[in-house]
Amino acid sequence: MKNKNLTYPFTAIVGQETMKKTLILNAVNPKLGGVLIRGEKGTAKSTAVRALAALLPEIEVVDGCKFGCNPYKKASMCMECINRLNSGEELPVKKRKTRVVELPVGSTEDRVVGALDIERAIKKGEKRFEPGILAEANRGILYVDEVNLLDDHIVDVLLDSAAMGVNTIEREGVSYSHPAEFILIGTMNPEEGELRPQLLDRFGLCVHIEGIADIDERMEVVKRRASYENDPAGFKDAWKEEDEKLRNAVIRAKKLLEETVVSDDILRLIVQIAIEMNVDGHRADIIMMKAARTLAALDGRKNVTEEDVQTAADMALQHRMRRKPFQKQGVEEEKIAGIISHAHKHEHMHSHEHL
Amino acid sequence: MLINMNICTRMNIYRGNTLDWTKREIYPFSAIVGQEKMTRALILNAISPSIGGLLIRGEKGTAKSTAVRGLAAILPEIKTVAGCPFNCDPDKYEYLCDECRKKIKQGIKLPVTKRKIKVVDLPLGATEDMVLGSLDFEHAVKKGETRFTPGLLAAAHRGILYIDEVNLLDDHIVDVILDAAGMGMNIVEREGVSCMHRSEFILIGTMNPEEGELRPQLLDRFGMCIQVEGIKDPGKRIRLIKRKERFDGNSSDFIAKFQGGQDELSQKIIRAKKRLSRVKISEKMIQLCSRLAIDAFVAGHRADIIMRKTAIAIASCGKREDVTEKEVNEAADLVLLHRVRMPPSPPQHQPDEKKEEPPSPPEEEKEPEKGEEKSETQNQQKTEKGKKEEEREGEEKDKEESEKGKPAGQSLEMVFPVGETFKTKRIQMERDRVLRKGSGRRSRTRSSSKAGRYIMSRMQRKTNDLALDATIRAAAPYQKQRIREGVAIAIEKSDIREKVREKRIGNFIVFVVDASGSMGAGKRMIETKGAILSLLLDVYQKRDKIAMIAFKGDHAEVLLPPTGSVELAHKLLEELPTGGKTPLCHGISLGYQIIQSNFRKDPDTYPLLILISDGRANVSQYGGKPLAEAMEMAEEIKNNTRINTAVVDVEKPGLISFGLAHQLSDQMGAKYFKIEDLKADTLVNALREDLLV
Repeated sequence: MKNKNLTYPFTAIVGQETMKKTLILNAVNPKLGGVLIRGEKGTAKSTAVRALAALLPEIEVVDGCKFGCNPYKKASMCMECINRLNSGEELPVKKRKTRVVELPVGSTEDRVVGALDIERAIKKGEKRFEPGILAEANRGILYVDEVNLLDDHIVDVLLDSAAMGVNTIEREGVSYSHPAEFILIGTMNPEEGELRPQLLDRFGLCVHIEGIADIDERMEVVKRRASYENDPAGFKDAWKEEDEKLRNAVIRAKKLLEETVVSDDILRLIVQIAIEMNVDGHRADIIMMKAARTLAALDGRKNVTEEDVQTAADMALQHRMRRKPFQKQGVEEEKIAGIISHAHKHEHMHSHEHL
Repeated sequence: MLINMNICTRMNIYRGNTLDWTKREIYPFSAIVGQEKMTRALILNAISPSIGGLLIRGEKGTAKSTAVRGLAAILPEIKTVAGCPFNCDPDKYEYLCDECRKKIKQGIKLPVTKRKIKVVDLPLGATEDMVLGSLDFEHAVKKGETRFTPGLLAAAHRGILYIDEVNLLDDHIVDVILDAAGMGMNIVEREGVSCMHRSEFILIGTMNPEEGELRPQLLDRFGMCIQVEGIKDPGKRIRLIKRKERFDGNSSDFIAKFQGGQDELSQKIIRAKKRLSRVKISEKMIQLCSRLAIDAFVAGHRADIIMRKTAIAIASCGKREDVTEKEVNEAADLVLLHRVRMPPSPPQHQPDEKKEEPPSPPEEEKEPEKGEEKSETQNQQKTEKGKKEEEREGEEKDKEESEKGKPAGQSLEMVFPVGETFKTKRIQMERDRVLRKGSGRRSRTRSSSKAGRYIMSRMQRKTNDLALDATIRAAAPYQKQRIREGVAIAIEKSDIREKVREKRIGNFIVFVVDASGSMGAGKRMIETKGAILSLLLDVYQKRDKIAMIAFKGDHAEVLLPPTGSVELAHKLLEELPTGGKTPLCHGISLGYQIIQSNFRKDPDTYPLLILISDGRANVSQYGGKPLAEAMEMAEEIKNNTRINTAVVDVEKPGLISFGLAHQLSDQMGAKYFKIEDLKADTLVNALREDLLV
């Protein structure tokens, strides 16, 4: 934590392609709604999330605002910025990196939502508010390691602010609220218990990861880790170029994203998958389409293809499906592939008819 | 981590610093695709607030919250006293708050403004202070006067109180809200403040039944209840995605585009509101309302009254001035869903009982099962389920037989239905007793979070949870000696007292169910499923947490992660297949794990592990002898004194008895039961000793 510059470089992580991909997708399109990474211990989950910070693009914030308000969007500003704006002040703008804020599992409610400075309050009769983790995470990424071990009432608070984009604190008759829009990234080891369905649904995407089975790759993991530990700065330098490349790709994709088009056929396919996989509600449809668009943009394309949908479906549906007891994992992927190929055949038939 | 500690903010009194999310960019109400029933119910409530609110039940991601938040923008205006924190109505003298009354007595004319009806959000993490209001702390310290800071109940007066995920709300907050909703008044007598003000609000709640059910008293407070689900029509689904994407892309453009629709809707509401008093309802239609209510076996008369009001609102909305059958039927659909109960049936169920189903109101015909699950009294629900199961049992037998005829496949896997639940009569009495003493006698625990009721104060500082009244009391004797710098009360660090809060805690019950092939013999699995469900229903009433684990084949699986939802449990039980080997040790150790991880989250739970098996382990987890491993695991659980255990032996008498489950039970230090005991209902009673009743 002390030296943020010396986190393990993102591109130096061996394997775990799907996980890396979902994280990059979120860096490109913040509206994807975060990732839940499920997997066993020691599979570079936390390393990847911490490393992601370096890849994130810069954002423009109001200088001096502790919530990092967007200077161009009055609708999502904090009260102070709105007041400043209303009094005719021009808000100073600063560029800074998107933050990755960590929420430790043992956090107290005060630390998460913010607290009243009691000593000051009783001595001076002044109510002062110390912002918490949610304030820091506004417009950034909120990272919860072992999210399944989080206290239930902290989860409730998270759900509240994730749903509203606002965090409200009420203490001793003092009420205070500030914007808290964040991308939620969580990691969990399913062996230690499942997540509540409501919280589960808040994550846009979900990936399962496992340790790498390939011996050569495993050796590479150990080697890289060793050389990083020997000389973190040197290691980081060695991967600088790769990281830079990826960052540029992210920036390019971000620009391209707005130009991507989703044809009605693709939309129909997405909806069909959602219906046939019998997922709850419509969040899955929306996320699938966003993910597919982002995938296309990341690939440098403007049009969304079936493969994009397939990949997006794998990421967006896993945690939204109702798995029957003792049903094997992996059937979902096959079924999705089935729906897509079926739709494909159908389309061909249609086009033949047209001819 | 320490970087942000010194950034502090000056705060204003009242809600001056509260972001008003009605001013934020919210998805327009008129742009919601589908969910006509939900949007209609919301509009009807806006037209006629006396309908008394709406509960929206449904799966996640069905625009529940979006609709309620969007509603704020199209609500009509009301007249209020300007600057009054209690939202007084200037035209109703008898309901004015003390402040406003004082002004009138002094001959001051009350300043009147018009503003939109508010939607006040009640967050899940809300404390009692926040909901009820509390002592104004700044005023007390600086001026030495007590002044009341109004809470959410004051803010919601004459508006809408919106609770997202209402089923997850803390019980003591629910009590407070029920109190206020019942009286239309909020009376605060705590922490040295005494205040009373009107608090009439429309309660709107959304919930996902997967996370647990609502308490019947709270359920009844909602005038209407509707069930929402995802849209099935692909065309509409596509339109929905497109709109959402456009909104996410450029929200202000999108909102501007739908402004016309929004205005139209709010005009419609205003016009319907005006027409409301002119709508006539004939004697015949009132009769029809009562008829429908009786047919649905509702408790009390609230249904009739609300149905009438709803029908009137529907007529008014449809530009009519008289109520016809059509309006009443639609009203019944909205009002009866959460109130429908099954007919009071005789304790013994006869096979032909099914025909006794009531002439159902429209929505019951559509989804009888859902209506039934929503019925307030569990025992009735149970009879119905019992009936269904009996039927299904019959079917199952046929299926079983036909399956026996089949050549043995690689794995004989069967899904048995949920068996008969316990005798209705017994349970009913049992329930009744529990209900009566329920809220008072549940075990309480000191709460480390800020949730819970404030019971006393202490000097130690741990939670940063200031007990203002106690702090001031502590400082009071020293005021003469102390130097006051611009404050009325000089408080020093040593005076600080903290709140000690307590909240009710429940049991955490983990079912470990044997789903191996041996359970398929006879009707064992059917009975077992029935027994589990009976226990679950019992657990539900007490708002305990449950988890379910099943083991078969080569591993154990968490069927139901810790939850309070019986609905989900029932669904999963129905789907649970039976067949394969018996990995007993896997099952027990997974049960142990889940208890351990729950301890980590909530150290105050009282866990109870119930193992349902015949004890014939034949799969090893660590390479040893299967049974020996299971025994070892059992002993480990015994050594953990915080965990209570029970073993239900499902071995059938008459066969060659191994008594393995009994041995296991001894090893685990568990209470031992036979499956037959379940029938006699002794299990629930016996277990109750272990539970916190």
